[in-house]
Amino acid sequence: MAEKYTFKVNGCERTVEVDADTLLIDVLREDLQLTGTKRGCDNYTCGACTVILNGKAVKSCRTTMDKVQGGEVITVEGVSNGKELHPVQKALVDSGAIQCGFCTPGIVTELVALFDNNPDADEDAILKALNKHLCRCTGYEAIKDGALLAKQLIKERQR
Amino acid sequence: MEYKYIGKPLPRPDAISKATGKAIYLDDIRIPGMLYAAILSPEYAHAKIINIDTSSAEKMPGVVKVVTGKDCCIRYGDNIADQTPMAVDKVRYAGEPVAAVVAETLEQANAAVEKIKVEYEPLLVYTDAREAMKEDAVLIHEHQEEYKRLPTLKCIPDTNVANYYRLIKGKGEEGFEEADVVVEGEFNYPIGSAAAMEPHGSIVWFKEDQSIECWSSSVCPFIIRQELAHTFDMPVSEVRVHIPEIGGSFGYKSDITVEITIAWIASFVPGRPVKWVATRREDFTSTLSGHGIRTFMKLGAKKNGKLVAIKSKILHSGGAFAETPVNVTITATHNSGGPYEYEHCFMEGYTVYTNTTPVGAFRGYGHPESQFATERLMDMLARKLDMDPFKFREVNYLREGSIVASGEKMWKTNGDVQAAAKKIQEAIFDGDKPEEDEDYYYGRGFAALSKAPKGATFSTKGCYMKMNIDGSVSINMGGAEQGQGLRTVVKQVAAEALQIPPEKIHCYTEIDTQFSPYEWQTIGSMFTVQGGRAVIRAANKLIAILKKTASQVLKADEDMLDYNGEYVYLRNDPSIKVAVKDLARGYITSDGITIGEIAQASADARLPRYSNPDPETGQGTLGVEYTFGAQGAQIRVEKKTGKVIVDHFASSFDIGRVINPLQARGTVLGGVLMGIGAALHEELIYDEQGHQKNPHYGRYRIPKMRDIPPKSTVDFIENPGAVGPYGARGIGEHPFLAVVPAILNAIYDATGIDFYEIPITPEKMKQALADRKENA
Ligand code: FES
Ligand code: FES
Repeated sequence: MAEKYTFKVNGCERTVEVDADTLLIDVLREDLQLTGTKRGCDNYTCGACTVILNGKAVKSCRTTMDKVQGGEVITVEGVSNGKELHPVQKALVDSGAIQCGFCTPGIVTELVALFDNNPDADEDAILKALNKHLCRCTGYEAIKDGALLAKQLIKERQR
Repeated sequence: MEYKYIGKPLPRPDAISKATGKAIYLDDIRIPGMLYAAILSPEYAHAKIINIDTSSAEKMPGVVKVVTGKDCCIRYGDNIADQTPMAVDKVRYAGEPVAAVVAETLEQANAAVEKIKVEYEPLLVYTDAREAMKEDAVLIHEHQEEYKRLPTLKCIPDTNVANYYRLIKGKGEEGFEEADVVVEGEFNYPIGSAAAMEPHGSIVWFKEDQSIECWSSSVCPFIIRQELAHTFDMPVSEVRVHIPEIGGSFGYKSDITVEITIAWIASFVPGRPVKWVATRREDFTSTLSGHGIRTFMKLGAKKNGKLVAIKSKILHSGGAFAETPVNVTITATHNSGGPYEYEHCFMEGYTVYTNTTPVGAFRGYGHPESQFATERLMDMLARKLDMDPFKFREVNYLREGSIVASGEKMWKTNGDVQAAAKKIQEAIFDGDKPEEDEDYYYGRGFAALSKAPKGATFSTKGCYMKMNIDGSVSINMGGAEQGQGLRTVVKQVAAEALQIPPEKIHCYTEIDTQFSPYEWQTIGSMFTVQGGRAVIRAANKLIAILKKTASQVLKADEDMLDYNGEYVYLRNDPSIKVAVKDLARGYITSDGITIGEIAQASADARLPRYSNPDPETGQGTLGVEYTFGAQGAQIRVEKKTGKVIVDHFASSFDIGRVINPLQARGTVLGGVLMGIGAALHEELIYDEQGHQKNPHYGRYRIPKMRDIPPKSTVDFIENPGAVGPYGARGIGEHPFLAVVPAILNAIYDATGIDFYEIPITPEKMKQALADRKENA
């Protein structure tokens, strides 16, 4: 049975009419045409679909719409400010952390949520967050470097 | 020579669109009226199809068409035309398409596909080449001798051997008569998956105007175009193939894979585009796998350490269709000697049909698999000779004047493997290794490597370059960006060649066979070498055009003119000059008359004199551009758990010229980690019925952030090559090549245990440690 769900996506209120067991990833990609969120697996193992729901990084492939009702979602498309990249994006670009880029949107949203909640997140917390994401291209070193640089850029911005 | 733009860590031109989620990958494409396909896989890996009942599926909501392989007489394949788009009267592997539903939504297609009922008569299943080669084995392809194949390929009729390749150098096997010491072993590199983060997929649209439009997450648009045209009997020019952003390939999105199947399905709903994207499971079961190579190898040397002979036999469990594995087998075979010279070689490669997912290209294309054997045996042979393994290798490295197995002569410009080895020796083997303690054994291992591309005689890469009216330049090529960073290479090479800053050079972002210059396919670590050279050739032509026009403007001979990116000027009086931007559309004189031509140029570049192998000896100009390197690992084996921990991994390659150090390091680290995955945990496991047991990331575990070695050393040596731009050589696959033998050699150093197959999981290690104790 289709039901109405109203929630904010990247700052705008949206309403969709879908079945209760519809997944957030499908609503974002198919109903709202926000294709920046990627699907890399069938069983919640890759992290490519990560978005920010009510301030927390979640896997949109295992988030049903009842959890989204009335909530606030930020996707990779909602992270930058016009042409100005978010420090996380800038740091990943500058560190060479992006090769094919398929894992990137999930990593961007993961790190944005992490530093929003804790700008002082230490290396262990950063690695713990990144360990939820698979990347087949980079060997992760540059992603780690990018995350550390992002933290620094965010700190500088706050000053 | 000082370079202005080469060797600088320029950021990727595509990084921002990827970081903002704006880059469009296959599954992000939406076309009005698009339908969705769901594909049915069989219950059995090898069975006759008795009946397919599609009646209930047809009645399901949203269903537009149910498609089977009935009456399909298409046979396709570039090398061996052994594939059908959908199973016709039998299924040959458990991921083979048996039927498909096309529906208005994907959910509807998925729901309906489950309603299709198929009756099978199961046949014996072979998941391993050794079984499939037994004398009384059931034939997976009953009449393979009838398939069209390239003239260089030979099947063994009435067997499951799809191709047999043999190479003989010197006295072949008789060469062992000259050997004082011999070692041999059987090594197995099991089936794995490239498992790129983006699952493979395609969209095909049969249009009312008799053309076909296709989108695919593939690295070979021109092969797809040709195969679609050929299969559906229309001019190549009426097929248009687009390649969007690709979320990783590592080889398995090359050759023709799922496209003809999707086209077959779409041909039943002309007028509407049909999209199919693999689930992760289907990406494992129904696209292409990697490896599956068993190597029997024997090496013979003189007492002084000089290698004299090699014998190798490659058994490739190639899967149900040989179109893609056949070249992997051949390459694995003639490169099985690694970076060493042998006077006598006898090498055989069998591509064998098995009831498993077809094997395709996967980072290294046969090299990592057979050189796993070589590098393990080199250590064993050094032990038997009682020689230092580095010294032993030094006696035998390919170097200027050496002749490789395929008969090609090595030149100084092919690079220096010994220099790379020295770097690894310094990085890993300087000083003593830690002493065994209560918890760990410690070890260090080394392996050298070599790889040339697997090209084709027509494997060229085209480049079209135009100058814009502000003096900026746009470049269009057919090379597929799959994460390797070819756009950065194009920009940097063009900037250098044109002496124009990279900010003013725009590199194409997508491929469309309607506009893109021809490229064979983007594989084999070939883009930098060939694509880069095509850029330079086009740049030279473009500069010549600018000079030609300028010679009229400046009233001077062309050969008296120089060019610096901004101006064309008179060599003996640089104040006589004309701005390059004023020459871009030809030059418009003060009276409004235009002279000269538009500044645009096209060029291509192939591997010079690349040839087919000789039918008798298997030799030929099969490599042309080799990249040599060496890798080393410092590891720990945890006694309690059997876990192997890589503490430091070092790689060194002679890549001729580093175009972009940031990118090159990223390529190496990615390849190394993939190799660590292969060595320690990755294996696609089949049960006896031919079903994959772990077609998902949960149990086909690829390395994560926590798996990276605490220390990584990456080093490049720059002995310029003779073919690539500014001497650059390929590096895409090489970082993956010797990781496995380096780690296994380190495991021997740590524990005294020789492993002959991977992955070395903690359970296997623990078992081996227990067995060792028992035997002690
Ligand atoms: S798509 Fe892989 S975790 Fe969600
Ligand atoms: S950059 Fe390709 S998967 Fe991470």
